[in-house]
Amino acid sequence: MIYNLARGPFVWVAVLVFVVGIVYRLVELLRLTRKRERVLWPTRNVRADSPEERKLRPILSFQHSLIGKHPVMAVVSGLFHVGLFAGPLLAKGHNLLLRQSLGFSLWSLPLAATDALTALVLAGVLFLLVRRVAVPRVRAVSGVADYALLLLVAAPYLTGFIAYHQWLPYRAVITLHMLTGEAMLMAIPFSKLGHLVFFFFVRGFMESEHNVGRGDRVWSS
Amino acid sequence: MAGNDLKPINTDQIRALLKQKEASMKLRLAACAGCTLCAESCFMFMNKGKGQDPQYMPSYKVLNTLGKLYRKRGKVSRAELERMRQLLWKNCALCERCYCPLGVDLPNMIAFARKILRSQGIDETDPKEPST
Repeated sequence: MIYNLARGPFVWVAVLVFVVGIVYRLVELLRLTRKRERVLWPTRNVRADSPEERKLRPILSFQHSLIGKHPVMAVVSGLFHVGLFAGPLLAKGHNLLLRQSLGFSLWSLPLAATDALTALVLAGVLFLLVRRVAVPRVRAVSGVADYALLLLVAAPYLTGFIAYHQWLPYRAVITLHMLTGEAMLMAIPFSKLGHLVFFFFVRGFMESEHNVGRGDRVWSS
Repeated sequence: MAGNDLKPINTDQIRALLKQKEASMKLRLAACAGCTLCAESCFMFMNKGKGQDPQYMPSYKVLNTLGKLYRKRGKVSRAELERMRQLLWKNCALCERCYCPLGVDLPNMIAFARKILRSQGIDETDPKEPST
């Protein structure tokens, strides 16, 4: 019963909430920053670099970048996010279901590769969880929601991993896998997981040395 | 100074101010993933905080001032505002150099939180320290 619901209508509800939620968030973001301001001091460096500067700049910008300051975090976070997207999107089982119900599917990775990506995501979750608890500065800005969301993200990957290896009763685990996956999808637009969308836009809206584009949008309320 | 302590907090006024920028500020607060990678961009964190003390971290300052004001819908005590004064003025120079990997405009949020505190008669002057 729950299995059929999770496999059928719940999927549509989750996808609908996810898509509508993301569109709503995007429209809100664009509407709030529709006004433009005149940028008096463009942040681009217009002065030509001296030979010394040209030599030093790549080294300095590497040292000041995220990967230079937090190499472990940058690499783990990067791999974690790759697994997060590539894992489910390129899973053979998912694409099979997609083809069955819609008639089209994405390209699929071999089963072992998806398995490895899932293990990567789970290792990433473990790293982020330990970091949240053990590093004082991360603990200082962590609330219940941060832990809950991390576990919500881990749940579909963990159940998917268990289901693939058939370690526990398959039907129960796969139902849980679908339910938690749907819950995660619906949580994305309305929680911190929203950085899935914001990440690509906010940098274009800021007037700063790290911006992309003119950064002349103004928050109107 | 004593008069300042006795003056009650005008919650309605705080709420009205919070409402002015509610949509954008809440969006920014929601966009913060709590990754703490903004810490090194703050010279206060690196120097006064010796690269350790979370209370100098930009995200900590924003979440515990503006974030708290929104969470409590403006219902805060003078003691809580006093604590926010520490974070917003003592722990922050508003140099606008802080950098968020997700692109949250931190200085703008600090400036807005300062504005709300000023509306309640709280600014950089420490009531416990004699003015010079």
